[in-house]
Amino acid sequence: MTQRQWTTRRDDKQARMGQVAPWLTGKQLPAERITDALYALIAPGDRVIAEGNNQKQADFLSRALAELDPERVHDLHMIQPSVGRPEHLAVFEKGIARKLDFAFSGTQSHRIGALMMDGTIEVGAIHTYIELYARLFVDLIPKVVLTAAFKADRDGNLYTGPSTEDTPALVEAAAFSGGIVIAQANEIVDDVSQLDRVDIPGSWVDVVVQADKPFYIEPLFTRDPRHITDVQIFMAMMALKGIYAEHGVQSLNHGIGFNTAAIELLLPTYGEKLGLRGQIVKNWVLNPHPTLIPAIESGWVETVHCFGTELGMENYVAARPDVFFTGADGSLRSNRAFCQLAGHYAADMFIGSTLQMDGDGNSSTVTTSRVSGFGGAPNLGCDARGRRHATPAWADLAPSADPMARGRKLVVQMVETFQAGLKPTFVDRLDAVTVAEKAGLDLAPVMVYGDDTTHLLTEEGLAYLYKAESLEERRAMIAAVAGVTPLGLSADAATTKRLREQDKVRTPEDLGVSRTEATRAQLAASSIADLVDWSGGLYEPPARFRSW
Amino acid sequence: MDSAELLQRESFVEKNARQRVQYLLDAASLRELLDPFERLSSPWLPLQDIVTQADDGVVIARGTIDGVAVVVAAIEPAFQGGSMGEVGGAKIAGALELALEDARASKPVVPVLLLETGSVRLQEANCGLAAIAEIHAAIVALRQHVPVVGVISGPVGCFGGMSIAAGLCSTLIATREARLGLNGPQVIEQEAGVDEFDSRDRPMIWSLTGGAQRHATHLVDTLCDDDSADIRTAIAGAVARPVGNLARTQAVDAHLERLRALDTGRRADAEWAREVMAEEIHGSGEGS
Repeated sequence: MTQRQWTTRRDDKQARMGQVAPWLTGKQLPAERITDALYALIAPGDRVIAEGNNQKQADFLSRALAELDPERVHDLHMIQPSVGRPEHLAVFEKGIARKLDFAFSGTQSHRIGALMMDGTIEVGAIHTYIELYARLFVDLIPKVVLTAAFKADRDGNLYTGPSTEDTPALVEAAAFSGGIVIAQANEIVDDVSQLDRVDIPGSWVDVVVQADKPFYIEPLFTRDPRHITDVQIFMAMMALKGIYAEHGVQSLNHGIGFNTAAIELLLPTYGEKLGLRGQIVKNWVLNPHPTLIPAIESGWVETVHCFGTELGMENYVAARPDVFFTGADGSLRSNRAFCQLAGHYAADMFIGSTLQMDGDGNSSTVTTSRVSGFGGAPNLGCDARGRRHATPAWADLAPSADPMARGRKLVVQMVETFQAGLKPTFVDRLDAVTVAEKAGLDLAPVMVYGDDTTHLLTEEGLAYLYKAESLEERRAMIAAVAGVTPLGLSADAATTKRLREQDKVRTPEDLGVSRTEATRAQLAASSIADLVDWSGGLYEPPARFRSW
Repeated sequence: MDSAELLQRESFVEKNARQRVQYLLDAASLRELLDPFERLSSPWLPLQDIVTQADDGVVIARGTIDGVAVVVAAIEPAFQGGSMGEVGGAKIAGALELALEDARASKPVVPVLLLETGSVRLQEANCGLAAIAEIHAAIVALRQHVPVVGVISGPVGCFGGMSIAAGLCSTLIATREARLGLNGPQVIEQEAGVDEFDSRDRPMIWSLTGGAQRHATHLVDTLCDDDSADIRTAIAGAVARPVGNLARTQAVDAHLERLRALDTGRRADAEWAREVMAEEIHGSGEGS
């Protein structure tokens, strides 16, 4: 009987590392050796993570990867939380990689859509973040992880600081499964004492290399208050009264749109007028949104745990350690895996927006020309069925007083009935279904399913979908607030009247929210400059947001 | 500034033209001239399928500021980018000409111009330009008799022919978000190329044409925060100031001498502009 080998993964790693060992000083690889090292460390067919976070990008390494010869390295299976750089797609166009599992594509959403349709990219799945991390430990175990840090020492200790984001989850999956971890750093120091703090221990890392330029980081969460419209303020007022105050929401995540930015900026003004300070929104799972500064400064916010950071917020966050999670060095520690878990299990509410919703309440930001992925929205925007703790808001959604009745997470979709270009938000069939057919996906890329959506808020009114007693009633409730879209025009007036009488649908008038009060004068800050003033000069907005 | 002060601060930029006028004038002193009910709108925009506005984007009002008789002309930045069309331009020019008649009859009325404008409305071309020329002439004539006060609050800025009107004012007030320049950033980029002037490089643009730079180089007299109370105080001070040694555009020779001495081969930046313009050039005060 042949003896089974139990160390093939480790042996393979040692063989590959053996080839690069002569070039290393400690764990440091000279930058000019990066291409040779990638040939030695990556084999055809490998599962490779190119760190592609929401914001931080291991772009020096992904550029080097895209320069490899597809004759030598091909058929890679790329796993990326976020596909954010042109070179992330170049590896597919050149034939270096074939298959892709991802969660978010942001700026590359148009091109990735085209490459999926023409078969250049074979998509495993469009995941939600924690689903993707989870699979790294089950059936998508990576062979190579390309990651990025602000600083590293020669022993491989990494300082990822405010931009820690996905790094711990990605690195752990390779470091303890015979995988290889390669880290680029903006700066390499001699000794661990020169690192601000250690976010990733050196023993998890195999190679560090100095990047040619600092890693790319995208300010994704800055919303200039100048662009918030009266309609968004109107809807924000309805949300505060009809949802936040109605259910006593304490812990929450906000989407990244102007709708929720408006809510953040209304807390110190309209929210104060409603007497809600200290009653609601104390604990947040949220990137450090600049538009949250006035609410923090005026005492609304107790804690914020962050998925990632936001450019310009570093000094502000460091000066508010009671609110934000910070390390001994004072800077933010973000961690997307934990923050997504918190948003899934420990938040009362997720409130976000979408581009399309069908008559059953299924929604998606995927359109025929744009496959953006959903990041964390699917797990933030669903009920956590495994949840075993009650909060007042959660319990408030229980269908009955039965001891076996469970509450629900509030999942709120906040949309105007028409998108830019007068495209109706409410459609017969989501474009996502068409995309799934064309790109051969197993599942239509739905962001939030209709049966998970508990509230739908439009400028026409607020539908308490969780109160629907049948699928048919849910459809009628959605139509009742769908305005003059074809779906809205199909609403039956008598049914809508009954729904209002039963408190299943409320119009702005029912909620006591006046359209004439909904003006920009309600915003605690009306410009980026105002946010800087609110922060006492600590917030340093990126150049493209400055108008002074 | 603490939270309470920040919440009480009232933005001037956020107000529309009519709200600005209402804010500036003493209570109950406001009398709007050619108000929207006169239905004086642009005859040219409908020909190009553009919706008109019943005041053509300009609000003219008589009243007092701390007891001083004024006529305020406020351009609405939200209508067609604050552009000057035939009707809106004529409203301002007419108001200034009436003020000139009053001044000559020893009934001084101080003009206050709220300049939020990319200048001429391209759809109305020469008609708008003609009105702008009339505005220039009226300001030059008026400032012998009364101060002419200009305000640029931002973020539209004040460009083109109307930037000349701003330059002609005897007192110019701006916020740091305001910009003042003959050509707007996109126009310069289009003419000179992106290497010379990148219209997306916001810090560079504001460093050269922003309110703070224009104040440091003495092209703006008073720099205010975007705080309605501060701006009103600055305007009230300016309208009450006696006519004197004010108009910077009268010192033509000194400006020309400065320009001639410039090394035009050197790429201008904010620091250098501040160096060159460090010394304030006053007008002669002897009339234009």
